[in-house]
Amino acid sequence: MSSREEVDFESDAEDLPARSVSPAVLGAPSLVAQDVHVTYRVVGARERRRSKGKQSLLRRAWNRGRQHTGGAIEVHAVRGVSFVAHHGESIAIIGTNGSGKSTLLRALAGLQPISGGSVYVSGTPSLLGVNAVLMKKLTGERNIIIGGLALGLTRAQIDAKFDEIVEFAGIGDQVYLPMNALSSGQAARLRFAISTALVPDVLMIDEALATGDAAFRQRSKERIEQIRDAAGTIFFVSHSLASVRAMCTRAIWLDKGVVRMDGPVDEVADAYREHVRADKREVRRARRAARRAKLGEEEWARRREARRARRLAQQAELEARQDAGVGR
Amino acid sequence: MGAAAPALSATVDTPQAAAQLAAAHGLKPMGVRPPLREYVRAMWQRRQFTQVLASSRAYAENQGTYLGQVWAILTPTMNALVYVIIFGLLLKASRGVDNVIGFIVVGVFVYRLFDDGVHSAAKSIPSNSGLIRALQFPRAVLPTSGIVSKFIGQLPSMIVMAVFVYVSRFLPNNAPVPITWHWLMLPVALVLLCGFTLGTGYVFARVCSGLPDLLNFFPFVFRLLMYASGVIFPINHYVHDATLGTILEYQPVALFLDLTRQSMLHEPAYPFTWSKWLIALAWSVGVLVIGFVFFWRAEARYGRE
Repeated sequence: MSSREEVDFESDAEDLPARSVSPAVLGAPSLVAQDVHVTYRVVGARERRRSKGKQSLLRRAWNRGRQHTGGAIEVHAVRGVSFVAHHGESIAIIGTNGSGKSTLLRALAGLQPISGGSVYVSGTPSLLGVNAVLMKKLTGERNIIIGGLALGLTRAQIDAKFDEIVEFAGIGDQVYLPMNALSSGQAARLRFAISTALVPDVLMIDEALATGDAAFRQRSKERIEQIRDAAGTIFFVSHSLASVRAMCTRAIWLDKGVVRMDGPVDEVADAYREHVRADKREVRRARRAARRAKLGEEEWARRREARRARRLAQQAELEARQDAGVGR
Repeated sequence: MGAAAPALSATVDTPQAAAQLAAAHGLKPMGVRPPLREYVRAMWQRRQFTQVLASSRAYAENQGTYLGQVWAILTPTMNALVYVIIFGLLLKASRGVDNVIGFIVVGVFVYRLFDDGVHSAAKSIPSNSGLIRALQFPRAVLPTSGIVSKFIGQLPSMIVMAVFVYVSRFLPNNAPVPITWHWLMLPVALVLLCGFTLGTGYVFARVCSGLPDLLNFFPFVFRLLMYASGVIFPINHYVHDATLGTILEYQPVALFLDLTRQSMLHEPAYPFTWSKWLIALAWSVGVLVIGFVFFWRAEARYGRE
């Protein structure tokens, strides 16, 4: 199913759940995004400018100094995304690294302020992300309580679900250890278990399934299907086209912050794979050109070296002749 | 672009269309600042979250050492011992108070509550970016739990403080401090101080989230404020100008130190005066409300960096 170019974290075919069928009648809208823009500010970074021609010493000193005083860069990561998601739909967001997928997901979850447009959601969306850090110094037990309370559960509800969460995460007594004593896979499982303790209307998954062993992947996929069957909406960001095709009914291809294609998962995934292949061909061609250019330069350097050697030899010959003259 | 199934049937080309569609299906807008009343209610709903976050943080502060929570007592004790050695045994200046040790220990310990509290609130938005990016909750929870965790974490040091105030009678030149019902007023003074610290913390949390450079000014501003509030020497002993003296006496930080000294010490210079408690109450509530509203107004913008 997957071509050689794709790196698949979850390529075991038996792992993948049965292909979900697009429901004949879509549910009511669960998320409306209209012309969403996200700009974030990076403080303490400055773009390095090329100097234009010759500059005065003072000017150069000023520029040299300026490089080291912060400044801020505005990054326009998402540029005008619009779509409507429905209950019972599972939507993949695909695109190359840096195309704004994770940022868009955070913005839809209300975790990243949007700079333009509007987002309307049913209920409180829950985001599972690779960088959704819990509190590292605290124990897993504390993190379950904090996470549950943050999701809006009461202490009694958390106590009732506690064993279930620990069991689902499959970390046993290690839940009483500080988080930084757990492996990253164990931490990711615990995070997944906490976030899905309360079945959300809209669940967003940001490549969270790449971690964990086969058994855990199987369990988490079952949990995701449960949520989808409960007429929730699922957003799924992944680089694995195989799992995207298996889990989703619809795909949105994001390219440099703009929706390049939105439609049934197979159509979009095919187009995306074609694009990635074309891109790779382009990269290979560019690399060849660069190698040629480099070879040319080496040749030039070799000639320059030869010229310099010839000049040195001439000079040495001249000096030797002068020495001979003085000695006479 | 792609000929999609019914998914794209509902078009949202204009903001009005989106709003209409959302309203028709009961969807709520995201990333919009909620009304103040709703925000306060959400804060109240998350009070357990705030409290657990605060107490876990206070607890985690002393984790990772062999003595663990013993440090909660040990650190303030050693801190107070330094003052005993320097001001009780080496420098024997009375500075116009009867019990120098009590005066300094109360001043330093209570001022630290304020200083640490505001500082943790100021850092709360950038230092919790993980939580902000993972979970949705009113962001005022973060500065609140930061300050509450400092107050919880320093409760043991309040006990150490009381012990040192009592024991200071055994040092030369330190008048004995009797235990009266005034000691019961210490928690009241601390609650009022907590309200004032929260209000100040909210303001700093919002300002520092947009301009992190301000965090570097912090130590200097707070050291200046420390000397201007009479933490280690009584201001009226050195300032003789009447207007300036009054301003320095009734500025909130000095006032809260005054209250704790009224309740803990037996200084003729700090008689128990109810009027000061009322003024402190006004400061506390006023600054708390103003700070909270100021923080709420930028609610939709936290986490942009």
